[in-house]
Amino acid sequence: MRDKYDAIIVGSGASGGAVAYQLCKAGYRVALLEKGRLIRREEFSKDELAYCRRDIVTPNLFDEYHTIEEKIDGAWVETPTFESGWSFWNGNIVGGSSNLMSGMLHRMHPDDFRLKTVYGEIEGANIEDWAISYEELEPYYTLAEELVGISGKAQPHPYKAPRSTKDFPQAPTQESAITKLFDRSCKALGVTPLITPRAVLSQDRGERLACYYSNFCGSYGCSSGAKGSSREAFIAPALATGNLTLLTNSHVTKLHSTQKEVTEVEVVNTLTLASQKLSAKIFVLALQAHESSRLLLNSANKFHPQGLSNSSGEVGKNLIFSAGGAGGGTFYRKSMKKKDFEALMQRGLFVNRSLLDWYIQKNWLGGKEKGGLVEFMFEHQNNISRAISTRYSNSRLLWGKELAQAMHSSFTQSKKIRFEIFNDWLPTDDCFLSLDTKRKDKYGMSVGKLRIHGHPHDMSVAKSIAKECEKVLQEMGAEDIYSSLSSTPPQNLIAGGCRFGDDPKRAVLNKNCQSFDTANLFVADASFMPTGGSTPYTWTIYANALRVGDMIIKVLQRKL
Amino acid sequence: MTTRRTFLSASAVVGLSLVSAKEESRQRELPQELYNILQKVQNHLFPKGTLLPSASLFGATDFLQETLYHSSYDRDIRNFVLRGAKELRDTHKGELLNYNEEQMEKALRDFEETKMGSNWLSRVMILSIEALLSDPIYGGNFQELGWKALETTGGSPRPTSRYVAL
Ligand SMILES: Cc1cc2nc3c(=O)[nH]c(=O)nc-3n(C[C@H](O)[C@H](O)[C@H](O)COP(=O)(O)OP(=O)(O)OC[C@H]3O[C@@H](n4cnc5c(N)ncnc54)[C@H](O)[C@@H]3O)c2cc1C
Ligand code: SF4
Repeated sequence: MRDKYDAIIVGSGASGGAVAYQLCKAGYRVALLEKGRLIRREEFSKDELAYCRRDIVTPNLFDEYHTIEEKIDGAWVETPTFESGWSFWNGNIVGGSSNLMSGMLHRMHPDDFRLKTVYGEIEGANIEDWAISYEELEPYYTLAEELVGISGKAQPHPYKAPRSTKDFPQAPTQESAITKLFDRSCKALGVTPLITPRAVLSQDRGERLACYYSNFCGSYGCSSGAKGSSREAFIAPALATGNLTLLTNSHVTKLHSTQKEVTEVEVVNTLTLASQKLSAKIFVLALQAHESSRLLLNSANKFHPQGLSNSSGEVGKNLIFSAGGAGGGTFYRKSMKKKDFEALMQRGLFVNRSLLDWYIQKNWLGGKEKGGLVEFMFEHQNNISRAISTRYSNSRLLWGKELAQAMHSSFTQSKKIRFEIFNDWLPTDDCFLSLDTKRKDKYGMSVGKLRIHGHPHDMSVAKSIAKECEKVLQEMGAEDIYSSLSSTPPQNLIAGGCRFGDDPKRAVLNKNCQSFDTANLFVADASFMPTGGSTPYTWTIYANALRVGDMIIKVLQRKL
Repeated sequence: MTTRRTFLSASAVVGLSLVSAKEESRQRELPQELYNILQKVQNHLFPKGTLLPSASLFGATDFLQETLYHSSYDRDIRNFVLRGAKELRDTHKGELLNYNEEQMEKALRDFEETKMGSNWLSRVMILSIEALLSDPIYGGNFQELGWKALETTGGSPRPTSRYVAL
């Protein structure tokens, strides 16, 4: 029987949506399987309790969870996330976590594709060059910029990745008054302030309306269509081709295969718990890095006893995160001119500034070093979490008049600015995903066990950058300046686990993100990344998934 | 075996079965005595006459009750909140409800000295702040008084149902 679908894609987030778009536009019939439900643009609200404080767009941790292994006092200690509450789910709805992103997007630098060659090995780290160059990915960065609708401004900087087009498709989003002070202060210090490229439309475009500066962007779905989520940028136009079948509440629990190819996916309906098998010519995994590896390992069979696509034994290995450290400072009404403070308090506008000056460092930590990117933003405006953060003074819980004073003054007399540092999270033998075979989730799948470890080098890089950021805040006149560095990873920016490369003994995927073992299987999310650059990943994820889409089209056309 | 048709139609009824599960859990209530203890504690944390509305005005305890029994709420935390309220009751031999403001202050500060007590008070505080500042659709933040007191608002669009029950 002819397959009903040319391709089945598992996961409808940033990567799955981009592949679906490419295939559907080229006329192929695609089934997009998403374990979560569909929340339409007009159904999103700014409900802090639901979106930010409960597991509404992520699974209940008693049903589905991870086990986290961290080194405590020299020993690896396992804690299931239903105990810790540290969820590694990020957005399980149509469009995935891209619905909820803040949309600060950056290209990786050409050096990031050849970290080993340019910067050399670092003891204890498994650094490998990428199987493709920046030049090969550049056209897809440009395509993603156009399709996602990334607003920004081309500005010269020695550490900026080169562009093939003159400027961004849309001008930057509106900015808070603080940017003037920020730019002035940076210039006084000889630092170059840069406008952050943002996956947010500053002007209406077709069905998608411009940003209305809702004040609640990150962690929330966008109800104007301005945010360039996979749902808006890719799934909606893919549906419009008539070639896409979107199956919601469809949790894939296993891939079936022969020695040479994947034959079917096993799908459980999350509402009825009924299961069925679906087949296609091509299968694409886009579950977000840690979950794609988990599915492959859960799909072990007699042909692939170590897990699917795992003849190298590399599935789940070399997990990386996009992280470094964070810090911030506070502006107080009492220390500022009334008019300046009031301008600062204007709701909804972005800080929109990033710094690249420490992306590459010369004669630093003893040689030419990879540094990182810094992003500046206001403290998240969530009311409940801001209020909760005022509840202690000297480890004593405040209540009554004291609490009311503290909360009121925090909300009305001050404004907090933050910075986040992104530097390489070096891949190591102690950061990987395996199966926790003792523990099963609601669907009978072995739970993913994440061993987490940050290389000490990452911390020293972040520390040097944090010092520079503190100087910027000092120059701006902020008070209570702090920075906090930790090797605790952010659960929303994960990559690695299925490295791409040229050697099937050491990599899971070839340069096209196609499995070495079963040729009709592709992994389209950030799993392929051997190193992550010093930027948040999502522009790279979008770009690479568009590239993978093109590769799959070639396979379907028998040109590859 | 599920046919493809039933598989797809089940996918289309997104959320319906979730709503009924929630309705069911909403019928559960705190035992009256524990409700009264929690109310007394919340009234002490958010009394009348401060820059914030009082717990009784913003609907702290009804919010807490509904929240604890909602299917989205962590059952371990729910049990912890109940356990802490019982512990407080037992430590004060059932007298807590008769305490005046001064006695209440001492009782809670003493409780804070214990590990369980400080965690419990923090949790009750978090639940109270959720009541103060969540969208009024959840039953707290009466007439948006919490937002108004802090010169803030929620974002737009506002939720039209609790917990994204589409
Ligand atoms: C609050 C927040 C802020 C962020 N801000 C930024 C930012 O400013 N800049 C940036 O670069 N990045 C940001 N990100 C990260 C960005 O969202 C992710 O990098 C990106 O969405 C990852 O794409 P993905 O396709 O790998 O996974 P996702 O987008 O998470 O999609 C994976 C999808 O697969 C589905 N799925 C998983 N398992 C199964 C299964 N077994 N069966 C069926 N479906 C399954 C999931 O439900 C999900 O919908 C942010 C993320 C969050 C949560
Ligand atoms: S309207 Fe603008 S600020 Fe609000 S969610 Fe959409 S993109 Fe973000």
